[in-house]
Amino acid sequence: MKKIIVIFIVSILFAGFAQGQDKPSVGFTPSSYYTFSWNTTFTLGDFNKWVSNGSPAGFDFGGRYLIKGGLTAGFNISWQRVSQSYGYETFYGTAGDAITATNYRFTWMVPFQGVIAYHFMPDKLVSPYIGLGIGGDYMEHHLLVQEYDIYNTRWDFSLTPEIGALVKFGKFSNWGGLIAFNYKWTTNKIDFDNNWNSKDLMMLNLKVGIVLIVR
Amino acid sequence: MKPKILLILLMTWLFLVTSCSKYPPTSDRLLEDLVIYTKYDTSIKFNQFKTFSIVDSIAYISPTDSGKVLDADAQAVLNQITQNMTSRGYVLVNKNQNPDLGINVAAVKNINVQVYYPGWYWGYPGYFPPWYWGGGGYYYPYYPTYITSYSTGTLLIEMVDLKNVTPDGKMYIRWNAYIRALLTNSHTLNQIKESIDQAFRQTKVFSK
Repeated sequence: MKKIIVIFIVSILFAGFAQGQDKPSVGFTPSSYYTFSWNTTFTLGDFNKWVSNGSPAGFDFGGRYLIKGGLTAGFNISWQRVSQSYGYETFYGTAGDAITATNYRFTWMVPFQGVIAYHFMPDKLVSPYIGLGIGGDYMEHHLLVQEYDIYNTRWDFSLTPEIGALVKFGKFSNWGGLIAFNYKWTTNKIDFDNNWNSKDLMMLNLKVGIVLIVR
Repeated sequence: MKPKILLILLMTWLFLVTSCSKYPPTSDRLLEDLVIYTKYDTSIKFNQFKTFSIVDSIAYISPTDSGKVLDADAQAVLNQITQNMTSRGYVLVNKNQNPDLGINVAAVKNINVQVYYPGWYWGYPGYFPPWYWGGGGYYYPYYPTYITSYSTGTLLIEMVDLKNVTPDGKMYIRWNAYIRALLTNSHTLNQIKESIDQAFRQTKVFSK
């Protein structure tokens, strides 16, 4: 995983710098962006003990508005789901109860975040950026055993540093592509009686999508 | 159609398919596997119980039929329960020898029940009646808060406290086990026996 992250970061930076060596291209500096991304989630830490599968079930919608230079501010709203089935396990309750069963676990997440990002070379075809999302998530953690759905729901606070790049489809195109990678830290937790005591759920997200670029 | 529009439609479709549904597909949810659920009464010390008796057949309960079963499979189930008890030091006695615990066993088919709250009496026709154990009724002091129903194919094992019968003749259930989906054809007798072993294993007060 580390290797993939390093290659990803290097390739984004390389793309930006390589373009930076060219003569300034004729284009435009956008006033705002709207992003629609397919979001793949990789759980980390305690979250990974709950569901270890990476999940492509996710969608992200964002908007960013140019403040000054390459500095933008905006928002992100997402839907994400991670899920996995497990073989027989025994779970103990706090009141003398225990259950042994195959089980299916999933977490459904709806993050809402304000985002500040700095776009390098916003007028170029390829514009790498770094950003930080701050906000909250609504999460539902479900443990499915036969038709029983045991779940808890929680709101949290979250921080999401992100690195990525916007790639215009043409110098004057209002459309482009987006690729981004972020690390997300939340105050959310999973707790079913005494099973899965966890805290500060974390994950990595890979976003690939399209961008509507407004002049 | 312009490639750009096609791309947008494709992305939108992907988003909808992959993320908008909160629940995963039903086929992923392992609905058919056996579940072993147990609960014991944490308010009482189990080491006060030394002897037990067990019913001589399994009560069979369905919406249209009820009765008692004592075929080879039923006997194997009763033997497995007995073996688990004796291997933990409990002594098997006849029910007329004042056992500390009485063990009821029932197989329930195709019944949905919205139960359980304190004071509820077991009322299925065909089930072993209170006078089987010589008392006035069965008393349920507890039940899980999140299991509200059960349906096809459940084996119930219940441990009735015959040592602490209330003055009005009520008897507490001190331990119970639900082993679900046992009446379907896809589960073997061996799986049932293993599930019974597991029911005892996962009950901390029965730990060897």
